[in-house]
Amino acid sequence: MNDMRIAERATHVSTRKISATGVQVHYGDTHAIKDVNVEIEDKTVTAFIGPSGCGKSTFLRCLNRMNDTIDICRVSGQILLDGEDIYDPKVDPVQLRAKVGMVFQKPNPFPKSIYDNVAYGPRIHGLAKNKADLDDIVEKSLRRAAIWDEVKDRLDAPGTGLSGGQQQRLCIARAVATQPEVLLMDEPCSALDPIATAQVEELIDDLRQKFSVVIVTHSMQQAARVSQKTAFFHLGNLVEFGETGQIFTNPIDPRTESYITGRIG
Amino acid sequence: MVFAVAAIGFWAARNRAMTSADGDSRALHSLPNYYGTNAALSAIVPSLAVLALWLIMQPLLIETSVSKLIPDAAISEDTTRSLMMSDVRRIAHGLDTAIAEGGMTPDEATGLRSELTNLRERLASVGVALGSDVQAEVLFAAQKYRMMTRRASLYMMFSVLTLAMIGAAYAWSRSDKDFRARNIVEKAVLALLISAASIAILTTLGIVMSMLFETWNFFGQYEATSFFFGIKWAPDFRGDSALGILPLLWGTLYISLIALVVAVPIGLFAAIYMSEYAGPGLRAVAKPLIEILAGIPTIVYGLFALLTVGPALRDYFAQPLGFSGGADSVLTAGLVMGIMLIPFVSSLSDDIINAVPQSLRDGSLGLGATKSETIRQVIIPAALPGIVGAVLLATSRAIGETMIVVMGAGAAAAQLDKGLLEAINPLEAMTTVTTRIVSQLTGDTDFAAPETLVAFALGLTLFVITLGLNVLALYIVRKYREQYE
Ligand SMILES: Nc1ncnc2c1ncn2[C@@H]1O[C@H](COP(=O)(O)OP(=O)(O)OP(=O)(O)O)[C@@H](O)[C@H]1O
Ligand SMILES: [Mg+2]
Repeated sequence: MNDMRIAERATHVSTRKISATGVQVHYGDTHAIKDVNVEIEDKTVTAFIGPSGCGKSTFLRCLNRMNDTIDICRVSGQILLDGEDIYDPKVDPVQLRAKVGMVFQKPNPFPKSIYDNVAYGPRIHGLAKNKADLDDIVEKSLRRAAIWDEVKDRLDAPGTGLSGGQQQRLCIARAVATQPEVLLMDEPCSALDPIATAQVEELIDDLRQKFSVVIVTHSMQQAARVSQKTAFFHLGNLVEFGETGQIFTNPIDPRTESYITGRIG
Repeated sequence: MVFAVAAIGFWAARNRAMTSADGDSRALHSLPNYYGTNAALSAIVPSLAVLALWLIMQPLLIETSVSKLIPDAAISEDTTRSLMMSDVRRIAHGLDTAIAEGGMTPDEATGLRSELTNLRERLASVGVALGSDVQAEVLFAAQKYRMMTRRASLYMMFSVLTLAMIGAAYAWSRSDKDFRARNIVEKAVLALLISAASIAILTTLGIVMSMLFETWNFFGQYEATSFFFGIKWAPDFRGDSALGILPLLWGTLYISLIALVVAVPIGLFAAIYMSEYAGPGLRAVAKPLIEILAGIPTIVYGLFALLTVGPALRDYFAQPLGFSGGADSVLTAGLVMGIMLIPFVSSLSDDIINAVPQSLRDGSLGLGATKSETIRQVIIPAALPGIVGAVLLATSRAIGETMIVVMGAGAAAAQLDKGLLEAINPLEAMTTVTTRIVSQLTGDTDFAAPETLVAFALGLTLFVITLGLNVLALYIVRKYREQYE
């Protein structure tokens, strides 16, 4: 609890990174997100919690326009990144996604070597000046994702040959290697053991020094441990959004309270 | 008739089973219809088996016994026993026709004597033409033949029907509530499926065996080493042919190579466009249009090669460059064959690209990659084994193609002994293994000469090559499947 208060104080001085107003998402006839307003601050960890199917992943995907790849998905409302509307026709979604990276709910390593998986983003964006530089980025990213020790001897082995939890961390390393300004993480610890989870949480805390992080999680403890802000979604609505400490100790909405205490889910 | 028996058996057995269970179908081991089906099967299967056997045996038996009726003396010099027998059959058939058309009474037909009646004219009047006047022995044999056939047919009908009834009755008597009719029907279904599968396999085996046999004959007459390593193809029927396969293999590979150079990039790019870029509306129209190409008969492609592509290449490409020569060229056949293969490559690759999971695309796009970067660096590598499989299948299709080659590239074998330039000139006429097989076997052929038998050796070689390619393709495709399961 003591830590958290320090973190809270830190949020007061930070600036707005993303601000979403009146966001609506439809999948065909399904109304998945209903009029959501959220401010995501720089150098902050924001947690999205809520029961399964409430639209957490959907909203997360709006933030880097990944919903563009789904034909039936329509997004309306305004989402500003550093004051610029990301759904403006002038904006190149490719560049946006380089700035707003994403770790997906299901691990999706490319059918390439572990090394090439991590080097994928840096190569595309020309982040490494030479081979040694790239090696360095790959090693750092894998270390930060707490998987270096397990794979350092088989960087040439295919990424698809790793275990589910290892794949998940490989995907985190891959996203970190691109050095995004905002990192969206959709249940990054769902397949991890407690030790790896602790390491990933450490990574998230570490990332907060430079980036802002949005994390979707089903673990209340995890949300409480790593985040400074928490948003509670229910049936496509943003029910409550505020300081993590306040949401968990003193929720305003009765639905939030019953979810946190385990009565709706 | 057999089916009527089967239908009756079906209902009877079904009712008997129901009765044995006091009308409560839940007390039965199997559903009522299974009892019925069992009875129907018991009626149909043995009787039809006997029918089939009978139909095969009857002519054989009758034929041997009738042909004994013709004494050796009656066979004149310029004919043989089997020719006489075909006369016998014609006359017997003619008599039947005559009776059916009312030109003769049945009694008349059995009592006829060739000395008394002018049979040839009478049969001609009902439309059965005979080559010569009818000999007494032949007429007698024909009458005998008719009689035996009719009697045999009668026996056959009788025994088949009896068998059907016995079968149905047996199944009926066994139908009671504990009888496992369902399991028996299950076994019948299994037997049906197995026999279908074995027909397919046995046919393949048969084809291979007959090829092997003829090839063996060929190698008895022609040296195997000069066949496999000979660089000259010059068959003639004077007995000093050069039958080296290399010029033909070279033609086959060269034309296939050109075809693949055309088909693989175009097919692959079309597939990528279709699966990654085209909207659903466009895809719904364009995909069938591309696949229509696959439905065009190869002879039509051949006409296209002969009448359009060949002359066009000669007039606008070969002659301005100072090459002389006819419209037949390797390039023509290769280009047209390439067009034929486009839909193969594109529709197989399209399926394979679509099978790459969406999550991989998302993963790459989510890292800020563009669409074409994603395709180049993630989708194609992921789909590569499948695409290679598709290309190999297209290759074996190209190697087996005949029509386009005949019409596009001619029928003259490559002349490997005239130097390298001649051999790799794409504007030369050349020919392939398949085309030569056709030409070796058409026209007047003597099935004992090596010039004819070589066709089987060529065919077998081709078969082994395409089989190898197909196995390789299947192996690669299967390996690829494992990755995503
Ligand atoms: N591609 C899609 N097509 C159609 N409907 C979708 C699609 N993706 C999500 N939905 C619908 O949108 C709603 C929200 O889904 P979403 O994936 O955002 O839930 P979630 O909160 O992430 O759930 P979970 O915690 O189980 O991951 C659900 O009702 C779902 O059925
Ligand atoms: Mg989700």
